[in-house]
Amino acid sequence: MFGYVRPLRPELKCRDFDLYRATYCGLCRCLRRRYGLTAPMLLNFDFTFLALLLWEPEEGFTPCSGRCHANPLRKLPMCPDSPALELAADESVILAWWKLRDGVEDEGFWKGLPARTLSWIVWPAYKKAARRCPEFDRTVKNCLEELSALEGENCRSLDRAADTFARLLQSAAPGEGERGRILSQLLYHLGRWIYLADARDDLEEDRLAGRYNPLAARYGPSGDDEALRLTMDHSLELMGAALQLGDFGCRRPVLENIVYLGLPLVEKAVFDGSWNEIKKQKIWRND
Amino acid sequence: MRDPYTVLGVSQSASDDEVKKAYRELARKYHPDNYQNNPLADLAEEKMKEINEAYDTITKQRAGGYAGSSSGGYQRGGYTSASANPTYARVRNLINAGDLAQAEQLLYEVGQKDGEWYFLSGSIAYRKGWLDEAMQNYTLAVQMEPGNMEYRQALTLMQRGSMGGYRPAGYATGMDAMDCCTTLMCLNCLCGGGRC
Repeated sequence: MFGYVRPLRPELKCRDFDLYRATYCGLCRCLRRRYGLTAPMLLNFDFTFLALLLWEPEEGFTPCSGRCHANPLRKLPMCPDSPALELAADESVILAWWKLRDGVEDEGFWKGLPARTLSWIVWPAYKKAARRCPEFDRTVKNCLEELSALEGENCRSLDRAADTFARLLQSAAPGEGERGRILSQLLYHLGRWIYLADARDDLEEDRLAGRYNPLAARYGPSGDDEALRLTMDHSLELMGAALQLGDFGCRRPVLENIVYLGLPLVEKAVFDGSWNEIKKQKIWRND
Repeated sequence: MRDPYTVLGVSQSASDDEVKKAYRELARKYHPDNYQNNPLADLAEEKMKEINEAYDTITKQRAGGYAGSSSGGYQRGGYTSASANPTYARVRNLINAGDLAQAEQLLYEVGQKDGEWYFLSGSIAYRKGWLDEAMQNYTLAVQMEPGNMEYRQALTLMQRGSMGGYRPAGYATGMDAMDCCTTLMCLNCLCGGGRC
């Protein structure tokens, strides 16, 4: 997706780092097993967070050993397939597909070529994933359509634009019961935060390209970092409040690290511009 | 009822001080102030009740069953102030019940927009997660009725940024603790380096 959702490594205990890494590797393997050899390219940190969040709280951490997709000679500890990993894998395929379609439609023939090629590759996986989670598929499609409609009319409301992506992410977890309510609230504000962080990251680029940017529409061409930071921080706070109400078992420390340390630091990096370096260097690298 | 010691997360052999400390930490975590106008406020309230009961049970047990209620200092927040306007009172009830669509509709039928209108409109936006609009509405409410403490409190909550709110131990200071972490160092800090 975007890769904004990361833990802060120096503050992680070793066992929590192992847990995080095994979940990441497990998601990679799960993608490969369910969707074939090209699917691990869709692997990202954001959906690792989702898998951690969706995991049954009673379930402990018992990694198995598996071959690394990037380097099959190496064996790594990874989480065995579980409903949480499978759901995260299915949903990352669906979201990747619709993001690619979005990219194809936004660009002309030549500029849209890479996105189109990629979407051909993802197509068979997408068909399978959409059969498995038809509801999520529908929501993603509708929300992204709403979002492009809002972009088309140069929507001035920050919340209205962010709401589309927030609802999209919210639908990634089943919303029933007490746990469902907690996850819904948490994911809504995560989605809102990601949307705003991404908008801030693209602000300059959108200005030069003359594209719609929700921050430019709301605050003026150069945005308003002070106001944006306040509203983003408040979303983080609401995420933290939701996190405290849920039961996340042994995954709580990693989740807390991400919400209380990782996200604020990413936010800071997005604001001061260093995010571009971080994301380029790290996102797809496996070692 | 769950075992009171499990609720507080301490062992049966914990000292009175340890029990009290665990209770205070949990009470701080689920305090109504952290869940003001939060759509999950009812869940926090339940937790709060549970830990209050657990603490009471333990203190009673340890005092030989004679001690009265020793906690209960934390009461629920929510809307306590009443509205003079009956429509607003209904809107408040709907917001508390979580029926935001109905509340919004009712509010839009009001012709005259005063401070309370903007305040309630802000509350609905806040519950929905539309924090920017909540902030704008609260600001207008305070501008129209600067003397109203309820509106000012709501606005202050929006303006305090990352300073307020509960943090578990270890995350207490948030970003300030990472001043040593220069941007360059952060390149390696955010997970993604190394082998994950």
